[in-house]
Amino acid sequence: MDIVICIKEVPETTEVPWDPEKGILIREGIPGILNPNDKNAIEAALQLTEKYGGVVTAISMGPAQTDDALREALSLGVDNAVLLTGRHLAGADTLATSYTLYLAVKKIGRFDIVLCGKESADGVTAQVGPQLAEFLDIPQLTYATNIEIVKGNFVRIKQKLEDGFRELESPLPALITVEREINNPRIPPMDHIMEAYRDKQVMVWTADDLGGQMERFGLKGSPTQCLKVYTQRIKKGKMQILEGDGSMVAKELVQILRKRNLT
Amino acid sequence: MEFNLSAESKLMIKAARDFAEQTIEPIAAKIDGDDAIPDDLLPKFAKAKMLGMMIPKEYGGTGSTALNMILITEELAKTASAVYWSMALNNSVAETICHWGSDDQKELFIPPLCDGSNYAAMAFTEPATGSDPAAITSTAHSDDDYYVLNGTKRFITNGQRKGYGIFYAKDETEKVTAFVVDKSSDGYTCSKPWALMGLGGQGLVDVFLKNVRVPKANILGEKGKGFNVLLRWIAGERVQQMAFMLGMGQACLEESLKYAKERIVKGRPMTHMQGFQWMLSEMHASIEACRWWTYRVASKQDEGDEIQVDSAALKLFIVPTIQEVARKALQIHGSYGYCKNYKIERLYRTIAHAGVTGSSTEIQKTLVGSYLARP
Repeated sequence: MDIVICIKEVPETTEVPWDPEKGILIREGIPGILNPNDKNAIEAALQLTEKYGGVVTAISMGPAQTDDALREALSLGVDNAVLLTGRHLAGADTLATSYTLYLAVKKIGRFDIVLCGKESADGVTAQVGPQLAEFLDIPQLTYATNIEIVKGNFVRIKQKLEDGFRELESPLPALITVEREINNPRIPPMDHIMEAYRDKQVMVWTADDLGGQMERFGLKGSPTQCLKVYTQRIKKGKMQILEGDGSMVAKELVQILRKRNLT
Repeated sequence: MEFNLSAESKLMIKAARDFAEQTIEPIAAKIDGDDAIPDDLLPKFAKAKMLGMMIPKEYGGTGSTALNMILITEELAKTASAVYWSMALNNSVAETICHWGSDDQKELFIPPLCDGSNYAAMAFTEPATGSDPAAITSTAHSDDDYYVLNGTKRFITNGQRKGYGIFYAKDETEKVTAFVVDKSSDGYTCSKPWALMGLGGQGLVDVFLKNVRVPKANILGEKGKGFNVLLRWIAGERVQQMAFMLGMGQACLEESLKYAKERIVKGRPMTHMQGFQWMLSEMHASIEACRWWTYRVASKQDEGDEIQVDSAALKLFIVPTIQEVARKALQIHGSYGYCKNYKIERLYRTIAHAGVTGSSTEIQKTLVGSYLARP
């Protein structure tokens, strides 16, 4: 059961500067963390390989500092790590990112499952996983809260929907995106952290290593135009707690809402 | 001069923070209230490879540094839980055995401390001996291949729990020797734990040694030079204890900020009021000073420098500084801070311990002063 996981380093803070000309976030120098949802993808991959055997490879696209996210993945138990970086890859939207990841997965070659977090904490598009599946031309099973291997070479997931769950099944290879509640990610032991930084390697691939069409990488290959990046300010109001008999409280609530033209 | 932590250290901090928040914080108040640490907690530290941080891998340790030990202690300390002492003792006693012990002693005594199956203890203090080491009355009489130990040891953390402890006694030459004692030996008994102001669950007991037979092979370091073992251990332990204080000071600031941002006074959060801003800024400045000095002394320890005076001066500075941070945190919380429903109450009680345990603040003044006034 060989698994490729796509992970991302996201800014630790919500206050990230952006380039007004290119319409992209300036990530260099901003303290980053491993995207929380990707930790679930790593945990899911490790649980699968602990049960069925196989190799887990983590790939991530980003500036040089993304090395830390990959080292964290190695400390958690991932076998191999690949950093996709370089000026040609910078400024990518989800389409160019998916294209780059697709080339990297093809270069890795052997895989049964590609695992992604549902979405990143900064972009929150949930587009990269499904787009990558389309590039790879494999089934996509999204929003998984449970994964099991059935009938030898099929995968079955429990998919979270807005109003419930459903089970999906597909032959392998397949791409799966996971929800936060699928598992509780492990914490790396201190000795594994040391090994990740001292004994293990992160392979570095640039656009030249990946092949592909240069005009489809990075900003050039990104049709998305980002006009503005901002942090939404949430206005805090006064809280009012209504107490007493349920029907009376409901009446009082309706009156308050009407008074404020909220009905 | 390098002030940046390595990426490796930063990930260790993050891992320790996650461990503290997921494993200790949810049960910290219960541990304190019940005065009991669950038996399965120390093995969890072992699984996270936080015991034996400075011990080579061949003995089951992590093979890391004093600085990384301090960094993870700072994170664990934010829970203000007595669990810290079990973790700290397994680390510092293992490191002491690793420094002074023979190969056989290292192979026998260190792995069980690193895998969390044994609880370490360090037993020097006696009812009439605290800061006056010469007044020690426990005795060790030679009998063939054994020493027979008699005496009473006071305030011994984990004295009643399974494992080995380092005990100090006067041998037939009236000099103090350090022995590694199996706590399940015949003639080894303990009192009930002392009821403490804070640090519930620490398990601080008196230990009674009545004709406890200890193999001569268990002498740690040179016979008659137990003080050397003790003083070196105390210096390292002081730095660890100050990292514990530092982490709790940071927790005081974080709890105060959380409270002050939510608490509305005259229509605005407390954080908008200059008086509280001043208190918060003073807390922050104090903690930063404590932080960098603690890191500096731990780095000196890693460089192999002597830290007896540094660690004493560190304690002399940090204890009153963090106690003042805790006082301000209590003031910011007002009456709520005096309630057990608020974490600041536990922090305040726990922070009080450091001025009187592991040698008092006043003793540090004597140590530093006598060094400065040396001929």
